[in-house]
Amino acid sequence: MKINKLPLLGGVLLLAFAGFTLASFKETITPYVAYDQARTLKRTVQVAGGLQPNSSDYDNERQALLFTLTEAETKETLRVRYEGVKPANFEEAISIVAIGRFDEGEGLLVAEKLLVKCPSKYMGTEMEEKVYG
Amino acid sequence: MSIFAQFFDHISTLYLPGAVALWCSLFFALAGLWGYSSALAGDAKSLAFGRRAYRLYALSILLTSAVLFLLLVMRDFRIEYVFQYSGLDLPFHYQFAAFWAGQKGSFLIWLLWGSLIGLPLIKTCGRKHEPAVMGIYLLTLLGLLLILVRQNPFVMLNEAPLDGKGLNPLLQDDWMVIHPPIMFVGYALTSVPFAFALSALWRRDFSDWARRAFPWALAGFLVLGTAILMGGYWAYKTLGWGGYWGWDPVENASVIPWLLGTAMIHGLHMERSKGRYRRANLVLACLGYLSVLYGTFLTRSGVLADFSVHSFVDLGISGLLLLLMGSFIAASIFLLATRLRFVPTGANEDPILSRGSFMVMATIVILLSAIVITVGTSAPILTRFMENPGQVGPTFYNQVNFPLAVFLCALLAAVPFLTWKGNEPREILRKLVPAAVFGLITTVAGVLLSVSNPFHLVFLFLAATALASNFQATVRKWRVGGSKLAGGYLSHVGVGIMLIGFLASSAYDESTKVTLEQGVAKQVEDLEMTFTRFIPRNGREKESMEVKVVRADGSSFFTYPKLFVNDRTRQLMANPDIRSFMTADLYISPIEYDPGAPASNVLTAELQRGGSQSVQEGEIRFLDFDLGAGGNATVQMESGGIVTIGAVLEYTTEAGSQKIMPLYRFNAAGQAQSVPRPLPGGGQVAVTGIDAQTGAVRLAFADIGYEEPGSTPTLAIDVTTKPLIQMVWWGLYIVMAGAAMATWNRLKQARILDDLETQGTIEA
Repeated sequence: MKINKLPLLGGVLLLAFAGFTLASFKETITPYVAYDQARTLKRTVQVAGGLQPNSSDYDNERQALLFTLTEAETKETLRVRYEGVKPANFEEAISIVAIGRFDEGEGLLVAEKLLVKCPSKYMGTEMEEKVYG
Repeated sequence: MSIFAQFFDHISTLYLPGAVALWCSLFFALAGLWGYSSALAGDAKSLAFGRRAYRLYALSILLTSAVLFLLLVMRDFRIEYVFQYSGLDLPFHYQFAAFWAGQKGSFLIWLLWGSLIGLPLIKTCGRKHEPAVMGIYLLTLLGLLLILVRQNPFVMLNEAPLDGKGLNPLLQDDWMVIHPPIMFVGYALTSVPFAFALSALWRRDFSDWARRAFPWALAGFLVLGTAILMGGYWAYKTLGWGGYWGWDPVENASVIPWLLGTAMIHGLHMERSKGRYRRANLVLACLGYLSVLYGTFLTRSGVLADFSVHSFVDLGISGLLLLLMGSFIAASIFLLATRLRFVPTGANEDPILSRGSFMVMATIVILLSAIVITVGTSAPILTRFMENPGQVGPTFYNQVNFPLAVFLCALLAAVPFLTWKGNEPREILRKLVPAAVFGLITTVAGVLLSVSNPFHLVFLFLAATALASNFQATVRKWRVGGSKLAGGYLSHVGVGIMLIGFLASSAYDESTKVTLEQGVAKQVEDLEMTFTRFIPRNGREKESMEVKVVRADGSSFFTYPKLFVNDRTRQLMANPDIRSFMTADLYISPIEYDPGAPASNVLTAELQRGGSQSVQEGEIRFLDFDLGAGGNATVQMESGGIVTIGAVLEYTTEAGSQKIMPLYRFNAAGQAQSVPRPLPGGGQVAVTGIDAQTGAVRLAFADIGYEEPGSTPTLAIDVTTKPLIQMVWWGLYIVMAGAAMATWNRLKQARILDDLETQGTIEA
């Protein structure tokens, strides 16, 4: 069997891989959504918002950080739980992006990853961001 | 304002020694370009001019960099860049890290390496290629130079601050001193094969570009790989999020050119030994450099920042970057489309079971991996116009790369036994028996260690078999020709080891979060852990926590994870402590430290006028302040002397009431002293503070039989075991060692051929 007589098999394999990649892409993409969508979509999503003042609380028992996000324009709120190290200058965050899935039982978004934007004190005009999780 | 006035205005904000050096480099680069293009047009005398201009250009870039470095060392905070990234307390060797901490400095270091690499390139690219290769190479450098002229690093502030803002503490790490510059050497090296390829296409001369570009391509692979390894190691040791690779756009931007480079060195090897892959190599060389440009565009232009996913902010160079990328892509596509058909190729007559076919397939697999990573990294752009744009995370990359890795392992396993001419399947299977036995033993070991996922077991079997068969080949080749022939197979052994390490450390890590009370041992999986003490800061050594770990076999050791607040940024920083063992790493990352409170017999209370607090059997009521307790307080305050204020308290029990007046003295400097008074039922009362605004007094009652239990300090940590993670590092070291051997060998070969060429022995 010569390799140049095998374009068919190769093509089929390539197509299969392309299909697999596309399916995986669709399945794993985490879209940016509004809070009401985050509550209804049964998948991992990203939400952004400001931290509601005095809403954060580190639960030592469960090793989890609980806080509330507020949508800047609509003033909607969303409770978030994040299990991990409390991000640096979390309280001063001007914007937080939480990537996770909504848990209907608990009525809150369980975040796998947080992205915290802080007004940077040493980066001058550049905004500083950090990824956690 | 006239254009001249504007120009002089601009100049007045620049630090001239640096800015002039930068402008000189632009001048010499243009001169070099002119010289080389005239030489290309047929004017032989211009070649020497172009060469001289290039050397002057490289010298100017060296001077530019030296000026910036000196400014950093002298801590000249007038310069905005120095102010932003340096500070008085920054130790000398971190001034290097400050050099490439910002956008401008990192473009400059990239340009510096690129310019220096051009110097040996002039000598080795071959006389007939020189005008085109050097001209195109200069064009790639000119792109970076334009960015720097636009984003001048020598901008001065209006006044000279006393101290800089300091370097991001995450970058104050020895790895950060060496990792970025090495990465930029790797990036700079990708433009060498690109220049060779475009020059070959331009001149329709495909005879020997592959031979000349080969050592450069290998060196680029080697350097980029080393930089990626260091970056992973830094992330693992310092960042404390628990891994070495996060599929972050910045990381992807470095791994895509590396994968394309991997495909290219295999293609060049094929072209050198069999005259095959001639067209593919030209495409791969173009893709390698273009992927670097695309990665730079993604991570530096702010297209992802829009998405608020990562920390890349548009500094006003996106337009320029887009233009650069666009022109290089357009030029590559144009040349490939119009000239590729002039490449002489032979018909592909390889049987499927031959080394040639397997290398083609492996190259396609590597290329596919580069493509899917590019797709993933570009997700925010690809989904930009959808209803909800999004991004993909590690799951995507792991999912799609897994089948590719499995297939690659199967190919790698067979490659050492295949010949160019083709083999019989039976023969290959027979030769693979010893390696497959090793693979089987590894798989059984995996099953015993509770690997149950069938895909993982297949992967493990193939990776171990590939490791073993390539190890056999390495030994065989080493016996025949020493390091000259064994490099490639040795790298494949490293790939096998590395892939097993990837699987074990990422899919089989175990993580537990636990809160430890100081001095109390706690069982965490099969380890007994005790938080023994908090170690305060000592000079540059940050606060750390001492945790004693006793292993199942009774042996014990101490670990010191760090958790501290950075002075400058007030950020909480966590540094893990990692212990490496034969089979796994123990990774201890601090989460939270609660210093606790000592036990106390002091009761405190803050009372307004008329407020009361029960003490012992009675009640204390705060009536008023006595401003005359030590001379007139108002007068004393105005004259700046010591002010004495008394707090008039009424102590009431069933037996009756009595007045007590503890005193509080303070001076204008804010020093305070309190004079306690005994309580009738035993114990004392003292004023510990006064709030003039609200008219409140803070009281402390001691020895009144009150007991507040203290709390012990606690430390919350994340304990993770990462099995076989050492295999990732060792695998990569071996890949690099193999590549270094091959680079050395190809360099020698290229030099021998060069010598023969100059002696006129062979036709070039």
